[in-house]
Amino acid sequence: MSKVQISKARAYDIVRSPVITEKATMGSEHNQVTFRVPLSASKPEIKAAIEAVFGVKVKAVNTLRQLGKTKRFRGYMGKRSDYKKAIVSLAEGQSIDVTTGV
Amino acid sequence: MQVTQINADGLKHEFKVVITAGQFDEKVKDRLTEVGQSVKVPGFRPGKVPMAILRQKYGKSVMGEVLEGAVNEGAQLAVEQNKLRPALQPKVEITKFDEGGDLEFSVAVEVLPEIEVMDLSTLTLEKMVAEIDEAELEEALKGLASRREKTDAAPAGQAAASGDVVVIDFLGKVDGVAFEGGKGEGYSLKLGSNSFIPGFEDQLVGAKAGDETVVKVSFPADYHAENLAGKASEFEVKVHEVRTVVPAEIDDELAKTVGLENLAALKDALREEIGRDYTTMARAHLKRALLDRLAENHTFPVPQGMVDMEFDAIWKQLEADKAAGRLDEADKDKSDDELKAEYRAIAERRVRLGLLLSEVGQKNSVQITQEDLNRAVLNEARRFPGQEHLVFQYYQKNQDALNSLRAAIFEEKVIDYIVERAQVSEKTVSPEDLRKDPDAAPDAAEAKPKKKAASKKKADKAED
Repeated sequence: MSKVQISKARAYDIVRSPVITEKATMGSEHNQVTFRVPLSASKPEIKAAIEAVFGVKVKAVNTLRQLGKTKRFRGYMGKRSDYKKAIVSLAEGQSIDVTTGV
Repeated sequence: MQVTQINADGLKHEFKVVITAGQFDEKVKDRLTEVGQSVKVPGFRPGKVPMAILRQKYGKSVMGEVLEGAVNEGAQLAVEQNKLRPALQPKVEITKFDEGGDLEFSVAVEVLPEIEVMDLSTLTLEKMVAEIDEAELEEALKGLASRREKTDAAPAGQAAASGDVVVIDFLGKVDGVAFEGGKGEGYSLKLGSNSFIPGFEDQLVGAKAGDETVVKVSFPADYHAENLAGKASEFEVKVHEVRTVVPAEIDDELAKTVGLENLAALKDALREEIGRDYTTMARAHLKRALLDRLAENHTFPVPQGMVDMEFDAIWKQLEADKAAGRLDEADKDKSDDELKAEYRAIAERRVRLGLLLSEVGQKNSVQITQEDLNRAVLNEARRFPGQEHLVFQYYQKNQDALNSLRAAIFEEKVIDYIVERAQVSEKTVSPEDLRKDPDAAPDAAEAKPKKKAASKKKADKAED
């Protein structure tokens, strides 16, 4: 697969925020970092974006769609938005400090 | 933690304490783990928050906390290792601290001096005893009577003299117009009491019952009602009656008005009261003499910090007095420097005596019982008749106030203790002598106990 070219703006759009949870920190042992990304983002795109924003080498990207919960509010059904999480495996020796922001 | 003494000069000691970065970090980590057990961070179960995130979130505040703790601990260690008895809170100054570097601080302590209490049984004191003077009793009776004077109607046609009471109607006018508050009917005015505008009462001297006169006076320029100040006015005055003032007779009647059975009972009560006065005065003398003697016989060095504190308190008081124009006659001509030297000596004396008394009290385990405290509160309450309840509440809620009361009692008890052991001889003096001295040295007899109590309290606290 050829490498995807993305604009700088798109790169920053894709990296929405790091996910900081117990589960996400478990990934740090395997040099994995988790981000929230738009539903429309594809794995190659995410890889390019992370590499551009943080200046690191990405080994692999796994993604998942987290479907929003359906919630009942005053008798009406509502739905929380879906979102996509990307679990990014970094190349050996690379790291991103998610706690300090971009 | 490493403590090294860098300075020892008399009562002053200075230490340098070093805590290495590793030790300090260890403490921070411990504290963070502790914090991590209880805090809630979104995304994590309590107690499962990784150290990195804890450090980022709480690092700063925990660092401050640990720093404070470490400094306190260091100061305490420095004091304990050298077996010092600090007079005041040690002064701590952080000399070096960067993140990841060693923590260094200096601790400056002033220690309490070693106090050698003199042999109390060698103290000789004179206790003043005064006989109650009959003349004084008479005086007191007269004073009481004059406060209960009554007025009698004067014979018709008698002119009012200064000191008499006239019953008048009056209507005041400025420029022919009556003004507010310028009207009164059946008012009893004592001539010469200066309760009206200056000049008003003078013009009524010589008036007779039934007279109608016009009194012309000007309001003083600084009169409180601004629209009247400085204005000339006329008062139409009608005199209804002239009454002469008769002092109450010293008899059983007088006794009854104050709630006692007869004159003899009244005299007894007065005598008792005077006796009580004498006892307190004699005690003030005794105390003063005792303190003087103690001050002469002890010359141990006193901690400079405590003297400074005491001196500052006195000086502040003095400044306030000066601002209010209430300076002692004797102090008026002196320059600030002279005064400062003088009061510094006083401050030193107070601190020394305070330390000495607390030492004596502690060595001989003088205790304050709840009973003593209750009695003192009761006495205090008695000074505010009608508001006893409030006073009780004040002491119940205000621990500081109670503590200062406690300090005062402690001092009294220690003085009692010393007096018991000292050789006290009695000396009969006249009431005048008894009365004279405490006034001549009001600073010593009155102001001292309170001030000293304060400093003593500080000393006690520092020892804890």
